[in-house]
Amino acid sequence: CSFMNLTKYPARINRQTSTFNSAADPRKMRRIIAEDPEWSLAVVPLLANLCLQNIVKNFKEKPIFDELLPGHKAFVLEKLSTSLSLSVTANLISDEAYWKRCCESRWGLSDVSEYGHSWKRMLFERHLENIIELFIPDVTDPKSVLDVVPQCRNYVRRLKISQLLPPIREPPKFEEDDSSDSASDMGHEGPSMDHFDFSILLDKLTNLEELQLVYGVKGCGMNFEWNLFEFTFRDCESLAKALKSCKSLKVLRIQQSKVDDDKCRVLVSSLLDHPSLLELDLSHNLIGDRGARAIGKLLGRSHLKRLAIYNNQIRGPGAQALSHALAKNPSLVALNLRLNRLADEGGQAVAQALLKNQNLVSLHLGANEMTEPTATAMANALVHNSTLRNLSLACNRLGVDGGKVLEEGMSHNSSLVECDIRLTDMSLENEYCIGQILRTNQSRACRRQTQDTGATQ
Amino acid sequence: METLRQETDEAGPSIGSENPDERIAARRLRIAARNEAKKRQELGSNSQEDTEIKEVRMSQKKVEQSEKRMAKLQADGTELVTNILVAADFRESKRRAEMEEARRLRIEKLENEAKSSLEKFEEITQKWTVAKAKQIPQDLRDALISQQILCGQLLEDKNKVIIELQQELKASDDRYVKDLKKHTEEVDLMIERLQEQIISLKKSYREELDLVESTFDEERRTLLADNRMKWEQQRQRQSDRELELLLQRMQQVEEHELQLQRLRLDNTKECNTIKAKLEMDVQILEQQLQKMKATCQLNQEKLEYNFQVLKKRDEENIITKSQQKRKITRMQDILNNLKTKCSNQEKQSREENQSLTDDYKRIMQQYKDMQRKMRHFAAVDAKRLEDVWLMNEAEAKALVRQALEIDRLIHEQQLGLAWTPPPLTVMEQPGPVQPRNRIQPSARQAAAQALVRREAPGEERELEEQTDGNTVEVPGGPESTGGRMDQKTVKRLLELLCDEMGFLIESKLLKLLSPLEKDERSLIKLDSIFSALAIESEEDVYKMADFFMKYKFQQKDQAEQHSSVSNQGETAEQKDSDLIHPNDVLRALRTFTALYCKPRDISSRQLSGIPELEGRDDSEDGACWESLATVVPEPKLKVWSTLEAALEKYHFVLTERSKLVNETQHLKQQNSELRMLLHQYLNSKVNTELAIPPTQVMKLDPE
Repeated sequence: CSFMNLTKYPARINRQTSTFNSAADPRKMRRIIAEDPEWSLAVVPLLANLCLQNIVKNFKEKPIFDELLPGHKAFVLEKLSTSLSLSVTANLISDEAYWKRCCESRWGLSDVSEYGHSWKRMLFERHLENIIELFIPDVTDPKSVLDVVPQCRNYVRRLKISQLLPPIREPPKFEEDDSSDSASDMGHEGPSMDHFDFSILLDKLTNLEELQLVYGVKGCGMNFEWNLFEFTFRDCESLAKALKSCKSLKVLRIQQSKVDDDKCRVLVSSLLDHPSLLELDLSHNLIGDRGARAIGKLLGRSHLKRLAIYNNQIRGPGAQALSHALAKNPSLVALNLRLNRLADEGGQAVAQALLKNQNLVSLHLGANEMTEPTATAMANALVHNSTLRNLSLACNRLGVDGGKVLEEGMSHNSSLVECDIRLTDMSLENEYCIGQILRTNQSRACRRQTQDTGATQ
Repeated sequence: METLRQETDEAGPSIGSENPDERIAARRLRIAARNEAKKRQELGSNSQEDTEIKEVRMSQKKVEQSEKRMAKLQADGTELVTNILVAADFRESKRRAEMEEARRLRIEKLENEAKSSLEKFEEITQKWTVAKAKQIPQDLRDALISQQILCGQLLEDKNKVIIELQQELKASDDRYVKDLKKHTEEVDLMIERLQEQIISLKKSYREELDLVESTFDEERRTLLADNRMKWEQQRQRQSDRELELLLQRMQQVEEHELQLQRLRLDNTKECNTIKAKLEMDVQILEQQLQKMKATCQLNQEKLEYNFQVLKKRDEENIITKSQQKRKITRMQDILNNLKTKCSNQEKQSREENQSLTDDYKRIMQQYKDMQRKMRHFAAVDAKRLEDVWLMNEAEAKALVRQALEIDRLIHEQQLGLAWTPPPLTVMEQPGPVQPRNRIQPSARQAAAQALVRREAPGEERELEEQTDGNTVEVPGGPESTGGRMDQKTVKRLLELLCDEMGFLIESKLLKLLSPLEKDERSLIKLDSIFSALAIESEEDVYKMADFFMKYKFQQKDQAEQHSSVSNQGETAEQKDSDLIHPNDVLRALRTFTALYCKPRDISSRQLSGIPELEGRDDSEDGACWESLATVVPEPKLKVWSTLEAALEKYHFVLTERSKLVNETQHLKQQNSELRMLLHQYLNSKVNTELAIPPTQVMKLDPE
């Protein structure tokens, strides 16, 4: 009977048990405690209850859980402390309520929907992320990371590492100039690694699907030093090795990590023919034309669906290499080249590629210093391409003539739903016309969609 | 950079999610509309379908309108928000272009500077060589001073460049700070705009929702009104109809009441009559009941008495039952005992039987052995008999011959008579009487076979039989069949048999016989028939014929009986009639075989192996031997006795005489001997020696 009560009012019991010791004396004075659903006149508690309480008390030394009856399990789960070591509970307890309590006790309120509505997954992912983010090379023992692996291996699907700490070095060594110190110190005998080495971890996480890395330090404030934001070649090589070993990876994001051409080539070479990679994000880096060429090669030898390399330093030749790969690629759906410097040379190449490509849906070419020739090429491409739905050409000086040509091209297109042409110096008239065409396209697409849904319903 | 990223992150989803959001909103509204429509459909009746569809269309239109409006609002809002991002992008790209330009200019400037400074440096170094050549201190000082000035210029230039660069750095730092500020401002602005948009969107969504709801409400209201009106109409109609029905019903009720009243009256009348009748019945029945009670009482008493009796009987029965039970148990015991005894007995008897069979076997064996021995001994005895016989006969014959010889001698010598030998038939017989008898059955068997043959040749044989049959045959075969019938009847009988008993002959044999002559055929047929009937000897044949005759006589009238055996000379027809009727042959034959064949069969079987010992009789032997004994007749014996007596006397005389002769002879011999002895004595030398010689004494003897 008391068990039933337990399962019915978990919250109250928690409160009651926590205040039990402190309120012991005044309770003794009372004859009936009406507000406590667990309370009963019987002075002697049930033996089962006593046993369960003992189990809870000694759970760390002797985890008895699977052998219990379902009702007893619920009781134990209610009472178990959230501070128990994960090595005990990880593979033993699957109850979400317990893990929710753990998460809330650690991080307060949090959104579980990001973690596939699994509190357990959330706990282990964030736990591992915390450990890695606070890992200091040569100071922290790598075993501290590896010890967690057997427990969280089955639950970790995504790692969002927002910072990676560098090794502790003597400050005087880095007083020189800011821009070119990356290569000069490499010869010096330094620490065994520059950041956390993922090659020891990734091959053990068999369920890992998403990896997001930032080689940098969060919130350094006034202690800023350039070397805090350093992605060294050694890091790059170890990361490349790790990526090659992780076959389940689907999404890879390396942002704001100063990935230059050489590192990009190293990373790409490790990702060639990867069996499951679907999305690659190398935005906010320093990738130039050679890196872009490498990425173009990757496009030819992978099943990538989304590629984001915005805010890099890709110029015409790199864009040409990319568009050459894009023309033949059968899988890519979204491409983001915002804030590069493709210029007309690159813009025209991309437009040429659009003539052949039949699966790209979204293309972002904003802020790429493109002008009228690109507009004419793009207009031509829009006439022939019927798969592209989203296009952004914002912040390019297409000019009035470019606007005219683009409007003409748009008038022959029926698939484009969105076209961002803000700040392109074209006339308002053209902008309005293009907007009208887009609206008709939208309504048409909307109608088609309703028809489709109607058909499916 | 940080802020830039934030911007993109915040702006990113709005661009991507613009469409889906719209879509979701549209779908939700549409689903709501559909649900509404379905509800209405359920509520409404079929007659109002058209208006309903129209109304639904109206609401749909409204929904589409609001959808469009919301999409536009959303698009505007996102544009407003993303404008900041685009502007930032634009600025960033512009900045980058400017930076690049500035860098290019800077590099150019630096290169120029480097070139000019290099020139200056080279000038200075040249001047150093010039200065080295100078000997005069003043010149050297001047040169040094000029060098110093030049170096100072160079340094100044460099310093200027450094200061410029530092200024640029400072400017860019300032600009960075400004950018940061601006970014924060922009972020704030964006957040503000986002919030604004959220609020406005919320508001407009609510408005739209209200509008859509109000349209739906209105639709619903109109529908409700319509339906209510219809409902009222229907109800009115229903109530009218019910009223009508009620009136009808009331009428019916009245009618039924009248009917009921009538029925009730009728029923009471009927009821009264019935009641009276029933009361009568009751009285009668009560009387009957009384009677019944009396009988019942009587019966009860009777039954009680019976019950008592039965009880007694029951008790008795119980006692007898118990007795019977006891008896049964006893019987059971006895039965068991008997069973065991029986089984024991059986076992014992089986054993006994076994032993008896063993004994029997053994005895049979012994019997056989005995038979064998007997046969053996019989043969031996026969042999011995014959031997003894022959020997005795020979002896007897020798004696007879001797006697005859003596007789003859007596006759011739003593009596001086001519001697005639007596008839010596006995003497001529070579062996004993018995062997002669033994030959007889074999001859009979041959005769049995010959009989068949004899039958075949027919008449001549018969004639032969008739002529010398009595002389030859009578002593041999037909002693047993004493009054046997003549051969003709036998032959006829046999022929009859041959014809009637065809079934006894094998069909194969018949086929084989077909080419043969009639007589031969019948002969072989008869042969096979006899073999089938187990008739072996001639005797049997005659016996059979005799039996047949007897049978016929039995069958026929006694009066008709006449000596068929003697009067054989009568006609053949009569013979035929005398003979057994062909139809009776089979029956007669069966009785015959039943009577005779079997016992004879067995005996003949037994006897067949052994020579006929019993067949031999001693009567003849005596005669035989008697004949031998009586070879010498009685008168001759008398002669002999007298002769003997005479001869005895003569013999006596002769013996006396011979005795005397002998005596004389003896005496003569004695005399001669004595004489010899005397001579000897006298002639012996002793005499000389003696004082008195005997010779002197004996001189008397010769005298």
